[in-house]
Amino acid sequence: MINEERVMLMTRLSSYEANEGKKDIAITHYYRGDYIGFQVLKSVVAATISFFAVFGVYLFYNFETLMQDIYKMDLLSYGKNIAILYLCTAGGYGVISYVYFASRYNKARKNLKHYYDGLRRLSSMYDK
Amino acid sequence: MLFSHANLCLWPKVCRFWKGMVMNMTSLLVAKQYIKNFISKYEVYLKPLLKLVLALASLMMINGKVGYMHKIDNTSIVLIVALMCSFMPMNFIIFVAAAFIILHFYALSMECAIIAFVLFLVMFLLYFRFSPKDTLVVLLVPMCFLLKIPYVMPLAMGLIGTPVSAISIGCGVVVSYMINYIADSATVLSGMEMEDMATKFRFIIDGLLNNKEMLLTIITFAVTVILVYLVKRMPIKYAWTVAIVTGAVAEIIVLLAGDLVLETNVSILGIILGTTVSALIAKVVEFFAFHVDYNRTEKVQFEDDEYYYYVKAVPKITVSTPYKTVKKINTPRKRSSQAASRR
Repeated sequence: MINEERVMLMTRLSSYEANEGKKDIAITHYYRGDYIGFQVLKSVVAATISFFAVFGVYLFYNFETLMQDIYKMDLLSYGKNIAILYLCTAGGYGVISYVYFASRYNKARKNLKHYYDGLRRLSSMYDK
Repeated sequence: MLFSHANLCLWPKVCRFWKGMVMNMTSLLVAKQYIKNFISKYEVYLKPLLKLVLALASLMMINGKVGYMHKIDNTSIVLIVALMCSFMPMNFIIFVAAAFIILHFYALSMECAIIAFVLFLVMFLLYFRFSPKDTLVVLLVPMCFLLKIPYVMPLAMGLIGTPVSAISIGCGVVVSYMINYIADSATVLSGMEMEDMATKFRFIIDGLLNNKEMLLTIITFAVTVILVYLVKRMPIKYAWTVAIVTGAVAEIIVLLAGDLVLETNVSILGIILGTTVSALIAKVVEFFAFHVDYNRTEKVQFEDDEYYYYVKAVPKITVSTPYKTVKKINTPRKRSSQAASRR
């Protein structure tokens, strides 16, 4: 005779395993620090590429003005301002990434804990 | 007053109307159940088909709007790419659509292509790393703009998404206005001299940044998404319907107020009509995503060692699809065999 409770539990577990579980297992293969560090690093690289792409467009946009004022400008302070802006962008984005990926790691661990609890319950159903 | 002649004459009509409404509702629910069963049965085939249709529609719309590169403005190429998209993940469609837009812009002018590339790059790198599920919204918003029903997106995303979806919708609005602006300025851009790269850059970026209508649309859509989401979550009866109406009214008010302040010259009739149609579409979304019977709401109260619980349970409306069986009593072959045996 089919054990309805067991079938329901198995369905729920296999559904999780096929969808969210895959990502959660991949995330929890890393140590917490490694995972968050890697994701923040990726975010900083993404922010760097985006910043320089936008900066390139800005340079083209102000091309004529820059060419006219290039000999009058204090290039050192201009460069310093750009560097500060870049650090703020990359730093801010890195902090947002840290918060987001830390919560994602915790959520993945919590979900997996429920999943393993379910597996244990399923195993005990077979033992009865 | 209740038993006046007019009321007595009217009452059977009201009863008939109500009965008709209930019958219609039941048949709608049966149809919904049929659709659900059909989708769950043929999901394996329907998913690629949906992706194919979406990719085909989006690429054809892009080609129709900004088809400057004749090599890719070709039905067979669109079909091949759409077929490819049907076997790839859903987010692949947005990459293909972005590539098509950049290539068309490249055929028009290098500067347009660079700006579009930077815009997509920033969007993909900075935002869609966090919410890859929302990527499709960037594709759907310009499609809704072309179909003249852009107001449906904030209503629908407020209902089925989160307030963060406002950023995805904002990205979609920017893409949509960029396509429109470059399509409208194509003659001016192709008329400009090749050497004047900085002027072209300035012309495109100024046109995008100084577009007050775009700014107003982004603000309106963000307000609508957040408002619809908040009202939907309120513990009131018919929360989803109230959320749709509130969102639609908010959209009209913010757009009209913004029109007065920013002088964007938007069509008032267009806004009202578009919002009404969008609210009706959002109601269809509600019918499929959230359909409950508030008349059978149950309020229960219990406690444990630490808490008192005040629970309000609203049952979902479900109907079972009628199951038809065809029973064959006599078959032609049997008859002929009986006749043969009589002989």
